[in-house]
Amino acid sequence: MSDRILCKFFVHGSCLKGENCEFSHDSKDPPNNVCTFYQKRICLYGSRCRYDHVRAASNLPLSSDSESLDRSISTTPSRHLQQQGDNNDGDKSSNVYCIHPREYPICSFAAAGDCPRGNQCPHMHGDLCNTCGKKCLHPFRPEEREEHTKECEKKQKHIEALKQSQDIECSVCLDRILSKATPGERKFGLLTECDHPFCIQCIRNWRSSAPVSGMDVNSTLRACPICRKLSYFVVPSVVWYSSPEEKKEIIDIYKAKLRSIDCKHFNFGNGNCPFGASCFYKHAYSDGHLEEVVLRHLGSQEGETVITDSIRLSEFLGGLQIF
Amino acid sequence: MIDFSRIQKELQDCERNQDSSGIRVCPKSDNLTRLTGTIPGPIGTPYEGGTFQIDITMPDGYPFEPPKMQFSTKVWHPNISSQSGAICLDILKDQWSPALTLKTALVSIQALLSAPEPKDPQDAVVAEQYMKNYQVFVSTARYWTETFAKKSSLEEKVKRLVEMGFGDAQVRSAIESSGGDENLALEKLCSA
Repeated sequence: MSDRILCKFFVHGSCLKGENCEFSHDSKDPPNNVCTFYQKRICLYGSRCRYDHVRAASNLPLSSDSESLDRSISTTPSRHLQQQGDNNDGDKSSNVYCIHPREYPICSFAAAGDCPRGNQCPHMHGDLCNTCGKKCLHPFRPEEREEHTKECEKKQKHIEALKQSQDIECSVCLDRILSKATPGERKFGLLTECDHPFCIQCIRNWRSSAPVSGMDVNSTLRACPICRKLSYFVVPSVVWYSSPEEKKEIIDIYKAKLRSIDCKHFNFGNGNCPFGASCFYKHAYSDGHLEEVVLRHLGSQEGETVITDSIRLSEFLGGLQIF
Repeated sequence: MIDFSRIQKELQDCERNQDSSGIRVCPKSDNLTRLTGTIPGPIGTPYEGGTFQIDITMPDGYPFEPPKMQFSTKVWHPNISSQSGAICLDILKDQWSPALTLKTALVSIQALLSAPEPKDPQDAVVAEQYMKNYQVFVSTARYWTETFAKKSSLEEKVKRLVEMGFGDAQVRSAIESSGGDENLALEKLCSA
């Protein structure tokens, strides 16, 4: 066994250099398993990368001292951890290898649910996540653990909510909303002012249907078909909520999403949006700066304050009384 | 487009609670666009004991448009036309909501029978009588219920016609050939 690194082309049986190859053609020699992308900090695979994520240690001599570099590279994580465990002396071993255990990736098979090699696996197995039941928590990366736990709990909550929403029927079509034929139909239409469930299609159909003569739009079409409470807008949602906080969260997320979309009426300042300052969509000019919202307050005759977004001369002339 | 699956569900729901409410809805044609509703006259009113038939026509926009309802049984009521059977009820017009169903609409009509609204009349003659001469109104309404909304049994019909001086066998065949209609049977007996 030489102290040269195993040629990766040779491993695949495709090295063209043969005898003249500078790398070892002896399969007993250790391979270079270090991810060079990680060392340049541009590896896109993260913890799923099949190469070792080893940071180039600064106190190591560069390739001139090939022996120490080889040793540090060829040591597999599990062996390293084992030594650390055996010695019970982390400082000493890290002096030798200069690699903190947090730099090692965890076994991706175990993280996905099941590692066929079990205890024989050369890679480090993550800790068990209680929510998803997978060994995907990195023992030495607390921030990653926290992120995963948060993400996992959110997912779990969503699944729970979906389960609870399963039996809810739309009061208009009398169907179970989440059992409708197409995925586009399997959505709730939340009314902001009351808690009666409808499917998005039914409630939108009702609100957009033509008013019959003598019908007051606000008290019929825009009102809840059951309790007749007036709601100004409908929020689509794939799950039904179980608490007012959850409802608020759904509405906030929906509004935030709309705010990121450019308003087609405003058209980057070229058009005129009829909804003005209360538009849910983004009012930004083509150079990126947002429309300034200046609310003008007008004292009306009844002593109330009316908010207008643009004042026209006609508004004053309209209120003029000639004696 | 009519939501037929919803109508189907409503019919099933009506059938389930038929005994407790007394309200029935049956399809008139195969395609569920024309139905017949039946409501019992509310107890404690001149309509008590009667069974009232209502013609229902489903509009294309159902359930976003109200169903068209009209009495086919003649009724003496300020908000129901004594001529055509047209009903004056806000939820069948501008106060319709898609959360209402055929059954709830029929329940509302039943409630209208027990609580007339003479200030917003459909039939001005009835409304005037209701306001000015309530006792006459009650007896007229009761008479109309007796005459038009009560299905008397075959034996009663036979008995009445026999009392008029026709033969028993003759009366029975006349009633049978006129489909159970007593007046039609009488006409036939007279012309025979």
